[in-house]
Amino acid sequence: MIVIISDDSKDNWGAAFEETLLQTESEVFRFSSNKLDIKPCAACGSCSGKTYGRCIIPDDMQQVLVKIAGCCSLILISPIVFGGVSHHIKKIMDRMASIGDPRYRINKGEIVKGMSGQGMNYYMVGTGNNISEAEKSAFLYLHEENINIMSAKGRAFVLDKGFNRELINKTAQEILHE
Amino acid sequence: MNKSNIMLLCASPRSKGTSAMLLERIRVVTGGEIVFLPQKGSLDKLIPAMQQASTIVISGPCYINTYPARLVELLETASSAGGFTGQKLYGIINGGMPYVHTHRHGITLLQLFAERNNIAWQGGFVLGVGAMLDGNPLEKHMDRKTIVPAFDMFIQHIAEGSPSPDSLYEQAQKPPSKIMTYVFSKLLTFLVVKRIKKHGHDPDAPNWYIREQK
Repeated sequence: MIVIISDDSKDNWGAAFEETLLQTESEVFRFSSNKLDIKPCAACGSCSGKTYGRCIIPDDMQQVLVKIAGCCSLILISPIVFGGVSHHIKKIMDRMASIGDPRYRINKGEIVKGMSGQGMNYYMVGTGNNISEAEKSAFLYLHEENINIMSAKGRAFVLDKGFNRELINKTAQEILHE
Repeated sequence: MNKSNIMLLCASPRSKGTSAMLLERIRVVTGGEIVFLPQKGSLDKLIPAMQQASTIVISGPCYINTYPARLVELLETASSAGGFTGQKLYGIINGGMPYVHTHRHGITLLQLFAERNNIAWQGGFVLGVGAMLDGNPLEKHMDRKTIVPAFDMFIQHIAEGSPSPDSLYEQAQKPPSKIMTYVFSKLLTFLVVKRIKKHGHDPDAPNWYIREQK
């Protein structure tokens, strides 16, 4: 299953990606993060202790976590905000700690962590118009660090020509062929 | 620097954690008041305080390689409001991993926010192994011999209103050796597993949300 989580505050990026992916008979589940009631991570530590593997905040993130935990690919789509993601998408990322594996491992000589289960492919799509090189580079850097710390695979894409169907189709195809 | 005009903003949901401890260390030298980022409700009321400050220092934890969502929301709100007139901005980010690169994105994020909003970026400080301090003084840090003087120099930069170079924090912390990497990895995992088992859970069991699907 592919899970798409997009910040559709401006354009309906998530639906456009879903449309393309569904044409290939992939199983797709989509959330619009800006329409969900998701509270910020409270750093309570419960998900790595008392309620190991489960976040105790009772909001829409509970249904999102059920889907992400079992997916093979996660696609986060966000406008690029100061070289990162929007707060709607960042709230999702912060709350994903509960499906992470809190144990440590070593990769390329450094301590890293991992995700629970079979692992997933992790994609980030940054959107915008005339994004500066510094912002693009920061966005790609964030994804690189994310896959490193999560011991995941995947790629980041920057679509900087506004809402463009052709680019969306091309990116969705690239993700499918990864 | 006008001492009463410095805003010390804690971007952590924890009021007694490492982010707040670092700001308190700054406050002792620079004066000012520590403001805690509200974790719910509108952030609009913080914007006038940011606009009126001559210097803003933001200290926060590193979640998934950058600052938490709530700070991103504040930056988005502040950017929409505008009205900045060359305020000086310093940033501090602390995280659990002992590598600068793991947490550096937060500092880049603040720099890009500053550049977009007529704010004078003055530099940041990345603190690895910050989570292990759990609010305890910097003198308990494993690299205290180099971290303490480097961070105190960072405070001096804030007090003088001068830019702080990245080399200050980069040179103060070195990644652990191969042997120490192995030891840390085993030790930290031992502590994590002990904590999980203490609460009656099996660390090897499938994640709760995967079980929930079945």
